Amino acid sequence: MIRRSLLLVVLGAVSAPAATIEGRVTLPKTRSTPVVNQRYEIVAKSGVLSTNPPVAVVYLEGSFPQAARPVVAQVVQKDLTFIPSLLAVQVGTHVEFPNHDDTFHNVFSFSPAKRFDLGRYRADERPVPGQLFDRPGLVTLRCDVHEHMRALILVLDTPHFVITAADGAFRLTGLPAGRFTLKAWIDSKQTRGQAVELGAATVLRVDFP
Amino acid sequence: MKLPALIAGLLLSASTLAADDDFFDRLQELLTVSAGEGRVRARASGTLDLEGYDLLQPATGLIQTAGRRLFVPRATTFLDAQFGPRVYAFAQLRVDRGFDPGRRPIEARLDEYAVRVRPWNSRYLNLQVGRFGTIVGNWVNRHGSWTDPFITAPGPYENLTGVWDTEAVRSTGLLLRWSHLRGGPYSPEQVAAEKAVRLPIVWGPAYATGAAVSGDIGRIRYAAEIKLGSLSSSPEAWLHAREHRHHPSVSGRLAWRPSQMWELGASVSEGSYLRESADATLAPGFTRGDYRQRVVAQDIVFAWRHLQVWTEIFAARFEIPTVGNADTIAYYAEAKYKFTPQLSGALRWNQQIHGTLPERGLERTWGKDTWRVDLAPAFRFTPHTQLKLQYSLQHGDAGTRTYTRTLATQFTVRY
Repeated sequence: MIRRSLLLVVLGAVSAPAATIEGRVTLPKTRSTPVVNQRYEIVAKSGVLSTNPPVAVVYLEGSFPQAARPVVAQVVQKDLTFIPSLLAVQVGTHVEFPNHDDTFHNVFSFSPAKRFDLGRYRADERPVPGQLFDRPGLVTLRCDVHEHMRALILVLDTPHFVITAADGAFRLTGLPAGRFTLKAWIDSKQTRGQAVELGAATVLRVDFP
Repeated sequence: MKLPALIAGLLLSASTLAADDDFFDRLQELLTVSAGEGRVRARASGTLDLEGYDLLQPATGLIQTAGRRLFVPRATTFLDAQFGPRVYAFAQLRVDRGFDPGRRPIEARLDEYAVRVRPWNSRYLNLQVGRFGTIVGNWVNRHGSWTDPFITAPGPYENLTGVWDTEAVRSTGLLLRWSHLRGGPYSPEQVAAEKAVRLPIVWGPAYATGAAVSGDIGRIRYAAEIKLGSLSSSPEAWLHAREHRHHPSVSGRLAWRPSQMWELGASVSEGSYLRESADATLAPGFTRGDYRQRVVAQDIVFAWRHLQVWTEIFAARFEIPTVGNADTIAYYAEAKYKFTPQLSGALRWNQQIHGTLPERGLERTWGKDTWRVDLAPAFRFTPHTQLKLQYSLQHGDAGTRTYTRTLATQFTVRY
């Protein structure tokens, strides 16, 4: 009887409709597009850079299992820019850094959460150089060749996260029921948090003004 | 200031600044302005350098002091501006004790300013006008204190010959005296004072005024420039560009990039090396335009993963009417390796040899043949702070010594 009840509980947990949180994060004003230093590269490479409007990462903080399979993500170097400029990953994710430009880049980070330097590598090198991000924290990516290039990787100890749209709107789906803290990472100095209680199949509205 | 004390002070400063890495990132954003939805944007950036030298006299290269120790602070501000996709402008303002390391009073100079236009939306053609570094060779695009693995320039960019720009050579004997092969010993004070007029093959980045065209056609990169100042022209001559208006210099470089890893370049340059003040000393019937510097150079760049290699070889000729052609060959090979994300080391071999000139029926070598080995470890505390050390051992051109050595340190804050 006990075994049957346990089975039902487990099945119930597995099949319980997941909760959703949606809302909006008030974002800082748009950053200026960087200027490429071409002083001694007499051949102009790129006069136009893609804009990187500020976005936030919304994540559910709690105790969650590690991903069953290794996850691979990518930060591409294209047109002298890191794309995306903000990547959120779970601890244990392997991030590849393919170079899609016809010039060398040199991706590196001095951040305590991950210190590495990939050196210079060709566009066609396989396997694509990458790093395993095995500690939570904020990692600032830079290029040793192009000083204007910068991107962030937010390594989180949770599988439940989402990057907001440029207007700050977000929708976090597939969440388990329970009591958690919902956090909005806005920049290296600002992370806001709010306690949430999720029931099965609930849709919760949370704004971070 | 004693060198160990300077290094200790720099390390202390670095550890303090390391904690403020976020500050520099925010500062960079503050120093960037844009308008027209990013179509027009400008950015100020720069470096603060503190350099210390411990020297055996006479000091090597372009270090202009007669003392044993030298402290050189330097603030460099860059302005980069982009006006739409096709117009780019830049400027470099420096505040220091002279362009080359020395004991002169603090001064502010606008070392570079230029506008570059790309007429069509392709990389085939770029036009640039202003005052800017030469397109010859491969050192100029990494000569900044943050990017150059060394504190001093490679040999061909700083080894001084006996040729002056303020006075024409009138005999082989005079050139041998100016090369310090005859008439010595020369005091450190005299050697330091003469450094302002003696010419290397290329004077540092050669920030002379002029115009350039450049472009990429497939894997071929080309560049050509016309400038009011030869490759060897001094910082003082760059400030008096009008002196060269009747005798401009032309230079060209062609480079082939078989892959991202390699770049093989060849350069040529030709122009008058004398300044206006030399007019009274010219050989009868000759003009400054007859005193020409001709340079042929080859360069190779290789990079893969944590290794970077650069090499350049210059064959230079200073034409001296009624005396002959003063020929010299200089080259260097340099390698840098990153041992860890923060620690790197670089090694460079420099050598310069001179040809001969006739004197009373004999052929005399007209300059002191030298070689120098440079070793430079560097540590980046943060993406904005760096400490470099350099030990140089030079053979030849060291006054009464056979060998001389230079110990240097440079702490750089980049913002």
